[in-house]
Amino acid sequence: MTALADHLIIAPVVLPLLAGAAMLAFGGDGRRRVSSAINVTSTLALAGIALALLLACDASPAGMLGVYRLGDWPAPFAIVLVADRLSTLMLLLTSLLATAAVVFSLARWHRAGAHFHSLFQFLLTGLNGTFLTGDLFNLFVFFELLLAASYGLALHGSGPARVRAGLHYVVVNLAASLLFLIGVSLIYGVSGTLNMADLAARIPAIRPEDRALLETGAGLLGIAFLVKAGMWPLCLWLPATYAAASPPVASVFAILTKVGAYVVLRLWLLLFGDGAGSSAQLGSDWLLVGGLATVAFGAICTLASQDMPRLAASSVLVSSGTVLAATGMAQVDITGGVLFYMVSSTLGIGALFLLIELIERGREPGADVIAVTREVYGEDFDSEGEVEVVGLVVPATMGMLGIAFIGCGLVIAGLPPLSGFIAKVALLGAALSPPAASEGASVPVASWVLLIVVIVSGLAALIAITRAGIRTFWASPDRVVPDVQLVEVAPVAALLLLCVIQTTHAGPIMRFMESAAQSLHAPGDYVRGVLGTPVLPRAPQGSGR
Amino acid sequence: MPYEALLVAVLALPFAGSFLAALFRANARNAESWLAGGVALASLALAGAAYPLMAEGGIARYSAAWVPGLGLEFVIRMDGLAWAMTMLIAGIGFLVVLYARYYMSPADPVPRFFSFLLAFMGSMFGIVLSGNLIQLVFFWELTSLFSFLLIGYWHQTAQAREGARMALIVTSAGGLCLFAGVLLLGHMAGSYDLDHVLAAGDAIRSHRLYVPALILVLLGALTKSAQFPFHFWLPHAMAAPTPVSAYLHSATMVKAGVFLLVRLWPAMGGTHEWLWLVGSAGLVTFILGAFLAVFQQDLKGLLAHSTISHLGLITLLIGLDSPLGQVAAIFHIMNHATFKASLFMAAGIIDHETGTRDIRRLSGLWRFMPITGTLAMVAAAAMAGVPLLNGFLSKEMFFAETIEIHDGSPVDRALPYVVTAASMFTVAYSLRFIRDVFFGPPPTGLPRTPHEPPTLMRLPAEVLVLACLVVGIVPGYTVGPILETAVRSVLGAAVPEYSLAVWHGFTPELLMSAFAMAGGIAVYFLLRSWLLVCEGPPLFRHINGRRIFDRVLVTLSWRLARRLEEIFGSRRLQPQLRLLAAVALLAALAPFYMQDLVPRSMARPELDAAFALVWAVGIACALGAAWQAKFHRLAALILLGGAGLATCITFVWLSAPDLALTQLVVETVTTVLLLLGLRWLPKRLEEISPPARIRWYRGSDFAFALASGAGLAALAYAAMTRPSPDSIADFFVENAYTKGGGTNVVNVILVDFRGFDTFGEITVLGAVALTVYALLRRFRPAPESVPVPEQQRVQDIDDDAHPDRKKGDTVRSAMAVPGLIMRLLFPVIAVVAVYLLLRGHDLPGGGFVAGVTMAVAFILQYMARGTTWVEDRLRILPVRWMATGLLLAGGTGLGAWLFAKPFLTSSFSYLEIPLIGEIPMASALLFDLGVFALVVGATVLILIALAHQSVRSRRAPRSREAEATTLAPMAELR
Repeated sequence: MTALADHLIIAPVVLPLLAGAAMLAFGGDGRRRVSSAINVTSTLALAGIALALLLACDASPAGMLGVYRLGDWPAPFAIVLVADRLSTLMLLLTSLLATAAVVFSLARWHRAGAHFHSLFQFLLTGLNGTFLTGDLFNLFVFFELLLAASYGLALHGSGPARVRAGLHYVVVNLAASLLFLIGVSLIYGVSGTLNMADLAARIPAIRPEDRALLETGAGLLGIAFLVKAGMWPLCLWLPATYAAASPPVASVFAILTKVGAYVVLRLWLLLFGDGAGSSAQLGSDWLLVGGLATVAFGAICTLASQDMPRLAASSVLVSSGTVLAATGMAQVDITGGVLFYMVSSTLGIGALFLLIELIERGREPGADVIAVTREVYGEDFDSEGEVEVVGLVVPATMGMLGIAFIGCGLVIAGLPPLSGFIAKVALLGAALSPPAASEGASVPVASWVLLIVVIVSGLAALIAITRAGIRTFWASPDRVVPDVQLVEVAPVAALLLLCVIQTTHAGPIMRFMESAAQSLHAPGDYVRGVLGTPVLPRAPQGSGR
Repeated sequence: MPYEALLVAVLALPFAGSFLAALFRANARNAESWLAGGVALASLALAGAAYPLMAEGGIARYSAAWVPGLGLEFVIRMDGLAWAMTMLIAGIGFLVVLYARYYMSPADPVPRFFSFLLAFMGSMFGIVLSGNLIQLVFFWELTSLFSFLLIGYWHQTAQAREGARMALIVTSAGGLCLFAGVLLLGHMAGSYDLDHVLAAGDAIRSHRLYVPALILVLLGALTKSAQFPFHFWLPHAMAAPTPVSAYLHSATMVKAGVFLLVRLWPAMGGTHEWLWLVGSAGLVTFILGAFLAVFQQDLKGLLAHSTISHLGLITLLIGLDSPLGQVAAIFHIMNHATFKASLFMAAGIIDHETGTRDIRRLSGLWRFMPITGTLAMVAAAAMAGVPLLNGFLSKEMFFAETIEIHDGSPVDRALPYVVTAASMFTVAYSLRFIRDVFFGPPPTGLPRTPHEPPTLMRLPAEVLVLACLVVGIVPGYTVGPILETAVRSVLGAAVPEYSLAVWHGFTPELLMSAFAMAGGIAVYFLLRSWLLVCEGPPLFRHINGRRIFDRVLVTLSWRLARRLEEIFGSRRLQPQLRLLAAVALLAALAPFYMQDLVPRSMARPELDAAFALVWAVGIACALGAAWQAKFHRLAALILLGGAGLATCITFVWLSAPDLALTQLVVETVTTVLLLLGLRWLPKRLEEISPPARIRWYRGSDFAFALASGAGLAALAYAAMTRPSPDSIADFFVENAYTKGGGTNVVNVILVDFRGFDTFGEITVLGAVALTVYALLRRFRPAPESVPVPEQQRVQDIDDDAHPDRKKGDTVRSAMAVPGLIMRLLFPVIAVVAVYLLLRGHDLPGGGFVAGVTMAVAFILQYMARGTTWVEDRLRILPVRWMATGLLLAGGTGLGAWLFAKPFLTSSFSYLEIPLIGEIPMASALLFDLGVFALVVGATVLILIALAHQSVRSRRAPRSREAEATTLAPMAELR
């Protein structure tokens, strides 16, 4: 802990926090230019730091860059930050999405309410802290931070719809936070530690009579994360909140559900992996079934959505349901595939949220509802008079928006040529080749269900997106071309470009995901890395050594 | 390797061209045509250059690593079949581009058209040249996408939109099935590589998953090739510009399906399932398409149905599962492409020059456009299977193949008769196409006067018709080697004996041809007069594929989805919370159900009477609060305070003075803030007798609350009464003084051991304060809450009634003494706060408690004299306080970096201050000061936001301009 570079691990937490505070010190909303500049600089710097961390992690032998012991206290007593492949991946994803959102917001949305920039940076602080921390209670703190900031951001822009949906969001998530706290307390009460690695080391040795309490704690903790991840039936608040949130906020919120998924991936595989004694694979069936139900519900919502924001919000459910279900399968290959999928779908949905506002800008409010009604009650096929059959010149703006819309649709529905397709190949291909891939090894039922559900949900997304796209781009030729600025289109284009890169460079990216998945499923390195030498005696393993 | 570069070029050229084409100006027809035509010709030439290798039976292969982790390689693989298809796609592509140059109106924006067309061509190359099945699916879906965009080119018409959407949904759904099928194939063969899969035919056929995989792959192929029962999308795709139809429905899109079947036949064919599934789909489509085509009134509709029928024929050939069948299928793929493309072009010319495609309105065009008429006649004759034309040759092969015995079932035996009968319809619609359009009386009432098209527009059709003739007359010299190349790549060593001669002698198939010809002519003349007036095909008039598709789609994807969303979702908050509670209960109880809680001797805690009394009061307060919460919020709030105090006493009792202190100040401040907010909540009136439904809801909520509370209590009891494990807490107790420099363990944990948590938590508080401020700044109270409260009104009336009193005097005088005391208390409380802050490290206190205490001082000022008075005299900048706090705390943390220590590493030493003496100074104190500043700022910001609410809404009742001005004081709160 000498070189400044060693402190890079904590930079993703400290930088945005101080940036947010600095904006307040400089005058907050009164000097929005300063705030904007600080926000953009900080977010870009975060992206750079995240990339550096990710590359460094990938290059280090155990896939772990290091452990940052706060206050120089030894683990497991101190809070530690741990940078490994998964956490740096999430950092990078967050900062990329955030950069797009913040640049987008500069055109107009950051003026829609108070303290947007500070809250935005605090949200990033919370997110980054959540991804980096190796301590259960610290996780709670950062979870709270990201929630607190997200409450403010969800309400950013005000208006009845936002306040209504936003308050539902606040109430449900406060209740979930309470469960989080109860869960942490129970786990601490039984195990006597908060450090995740230490916890993983101690769980095999938990007395049988204490196990029920431990599992209850884990269950309640899980519920808190699953609320955040949007698992059905705990996700009913999600579509309304995301659809109502202002576009840059909704775009960043695309990562919020992944926080829940991240914690599940991290903690569940760490604490209740194969080494957890009788608690191994605790609740994996529930995770799988719940995830599949979420995908199904998300697909239903996608089809039933009357307007584009709700369509995008429903896709969030499909995406996180897929991640949860695949996590519940608890197979290394599938986890690798699902990480790839998670990145791809988050980028796609983030881009879509931004794009929708641009598309909708030139339209009359409520146009969608009328269009849908007309479609359902039979738009008369031939009644539509003689339309001059000569192609219309599509204005360049609409052309660009159209291409971007198709791009987002392809990523979300998982169709070629963008990354969504590769993600599905990775996910489903792995699901069909179980670990014991010997000749004649039968594919488990769960894999079949996953295959069907994922493919059908892709079709549902395709139908819904086509419907929405035709309605907005084709069926209203005399619409007003929206007034769109470059700073608004560029982020969307950049996010889609990332999806393209994810396709063309799928090889190395997939290798990274697989390595990340392998370390998740074999958390020994993680535990040893954090604890150094075991501080407390491990469980007697039966041998006399 | 030159071949590698060649393959990459063939695949990359169209996409590069597509990108370029999109950049041209909207009316750059010529430039676009040159570009697109050049790309097509270059592809043709490049593919042609590969012929020597293909003729030897070689395979050109280019591979690049793509996703090695998934076993995915990017492989471009050209064998005979792929080569033949590439030539076909490129060749007809070129002719279509030429045709489109003259077909498209100068007003049509062509960049979009040619861009999509080239991308589509590239995707088709991708399908046929894929050496990897996943890659094949990749391009397969791309053709769906680009065909969607091409069909919807004239998207201002509903037909184009509907047709495009239907094509996309049907073919993409099929594509998804194909994707699943390919995944299964990969699973069975152990690789997605085409060569591997083709070599693993036996393993695949004997695998348990063969049938599901076959069905999925077939769903993909049959939807693409518009086979029954998915044929309905194709006629509606005719809304596309005619060049698109000519391309998609002759050489490309629909051929992708049959191409895939031929491609996979070595791996999947040769089974009973293949014979029946593929064969029956083909047979039904062949018959149905031919039958329906006769009754079409639209030229393109007729051609569309004939396309369906011919694809059915090809599918049937593939389904017949013999090598000879594959030969005939490949041959017919080529033949059909040539004559159908030229027919579509002819139909387009007729449409272009006369303004209509309705067969009933057209007649006698021969005298106006004899050359086009001749071309159409030859092509239609090829379609009907007239000798000396290419269609005849493949049709003969087809007849010969149907005569063979395949599995000896009755259907198999009846096959020759059935197909002969169906072929009569083929002849009939071909005849109708010619006779009704080109012969008969001169047309009347056409939108335009017909005449011959420009020479270059006719040229593509002329080339194609010439090909039909040449192939039909001297097949051995023309198509022979090409067919041989293609066939050998599929069948390998097992190429059967076949002959391309025009004359085979008097064979059964010749007889069948003759019957079909004669029968077709008879059918046409029998039905002729009726055809001109009929309203759609008999039997099928009311079965409208589009309507069924729409119905199903709307029902499934809209009505059903809405219904399910209603059932499984809710947009209301209460059910959601109920669900959350239920799921949490389930999650908490499940472990106890799964594994019995082992009873253990728990030390019965001793019960003190006084302590029990405190708890009895606390419980009573809590219950009372819950009881009154709905209709008497003030009472509930006060009772809540009571319960909080009981908790506070409990902490003291259990020797946790820090917790008690914190609890006390937090309780105080939150209660005051809630009281301030209470004013803005609308009044609720208790119903006399709520409806049963609501009572039921309340009852169930009560049950949930009871269960959750009891469960939580039980959990807490269980957790607290068991022996505590080895805990990290011991470390904190042992090291607080020696290493942390403080005797108050709680505070050392907060600012040192776990200072990072505190750092996060104060940021949470800051974020919450900002959120509250942002929310309240735009807050509009409910209309019934806007008027001044009743009490105040009474006072005001009273004040008005007394001439010597001004409005508000009652309050002022009532508050005079308390107000004075409160003002005087300000410095006292401030000193207490500082005292709490400073002593925190060793005794109960600390930054948080001190901050809240300080906030109490501000709250008192606001309460004593009102917002305006305070702000006239005291300029508080809570946001700055918050910023200072965060920066101070963060700066303290960063300071450790200077000493090469991790963030938030503390140090302490003793500082000699004159007069006072030696006092311990820990860097943690600075951190605590930051906490203090933030807590003050955040609490006061919330307070001010609430306080301004009353100032604002009283001053400016609901007018926008007024609001803007009253926002000004808020804007100062930076």
